[in-house]
Amino acid sequence: MDERRTGWVLIVVLVGQLVYLAIQGARAGETRLEEVGLRVLGPMAHGVASIPEELSGAREGVKLRGTLLEENRQLRREAADLRLRLLRLTDVEGELQRLGNAVRYPTPPAGRIRAVDIVYADHTSWLRTLILYTGPVEARHNQPVLSPDGLVGRVVHVAGSYAKVQLITDRAAGVGGMILRTRRQGVVRGGLGTGLELDYVPLQADVRPGDRVLTAGIDGVYPRGIPIGTVASVEPGGQLFHRINVAPAVDFGTLDQVYLLEYQAVPQTLKETSPSGKP
Amino acid sequence: MESLKLIATIALAALVHFIGVRLWPDFVRAVDVFLVVVALHGLRGNSLSGLLVGLLVGLLQDTLTSGPFGLFGFADTIIGYVTARLAQRLVIQRPTGVLALVSFAAVLQQAITVGLAFLLLPAPETPSPVWAVIRAGACGVLGMAIYIVAGRWRNSSETRRRGRMSRLRLG
Repeated sequence: MDERRTGWVLIVVLVGQLVYLAIQGARAGETRLEEVGLRVLGPMAHGVASIPEELSGAREGVKLRGTLLEENRQLRREAADLRLRLLRLTDVEGELQRLGNAVRYPTPPAGRIRAVDIVYADHTSWLRTLILYTGPVEARHNQPVLSPDGLVGRVVHVAGSYAKVQLITDRAAGVGGMILRTRRQGVVRGGLGTGLELDYVPLQADVRPGDRVLTAGIDGVYPRGIPIGTVASVEPGGQLFHRINVAPAVDFGTLDQVYLLEYQAVPQTLKETSPSGKP
Repeated sequence: MESLKLIATIALAALVHFIGVRLWPDFVRAVDVFLVVVALHGLRGNSLSGLLVGLLVGLLQDTLTSGPFGLFGFADTIIGYVTARLAQRLVIQRPTGVLALVSFAAVLQQAITVGLAFLLLPAPETPSPVWAVIRAGACGVLGMAIYIVAGRWRNSSETRRRGRMSRLRLG
């Protein structure tokens, strides 16, 4: 093919891609090509992720053999403490339930969690992402992803046993958050670098460094009460709102396993009948 | 045969990428193995093949990012085409020429992706200039190293082939 024709092919391919990129906004998370790519690259990433784990596991097994007994004793003690704490919390939960019933307040159901492995993590580049291996049970679109320390993100794409996660530190991500001390709500977004920003908190609101930020449960994706981070600094932003920087509760660099939360804030039937819902 | 070789190269690049990220979290910021594959393929001088390989590799790379799907596909299509056109016009035989070309491709790719991100995303983040320079340099060095190794391997296999031919003639 001569160079002139190749030039035309280039223009057609580029225009096609631009159109594809432009129409994607309305169909986010439904790209067929992305699913194919995830199905091809997912198993490779899973293979690479599992090899070093086995090697390091064997190495650690030999190294820690001598300290296993002590660790076991310590874990038993911790398990006993946690059992006691659980008993107390069950009591508190029962009391809350009774109080809720007395004023006819419907308590939202607590979701179950499921541990899944991370097979690919890029939390440093400007297009940060996480790919999970969920096993035979597929993840759900918009399913919240947690770690023991707090909120990690949500599932944005599912391809068989693999799922792509949008981290809360992503610039395009938004989470309904609230400051625990004052219950003041705002929107948590990915900030510059690996930090977060809490937007739309008015200047009159009382916010201090060190305040804990939790999910507010108002965005239809995340349930209320999951730790997001801690307020690192508060500056006067514009004329109306504070500029609040939040340090994430999760250290994304240390994650190797996360939890999928089986939770659906807004029932699917309600979403389908809402005017803005997709048919 | 060529297609199989290409698929194997892309698979190897993906493997190196995954191992790199596993060993060093900043690997993604520092090196782009996929871009090196596209640029080295473009060096062959076939612009149609260059742009198609760029498109394929770019879309695969898009699978591993959280940005809009097609961002790297778009950028790598241009990279594949531009490197092929440059290879047609310039005689690139020295490893330093390859270093310059791949580094240029890395800078161009970052410029295109950032430009597109500003067009498509509400509040895009720009990559750090220090990492952009490191990435361009690292891609160039990797491209040059692969070019040198591939050249030596080609030479040695050619010598072996000639040796076999001369033995056959003597026999």
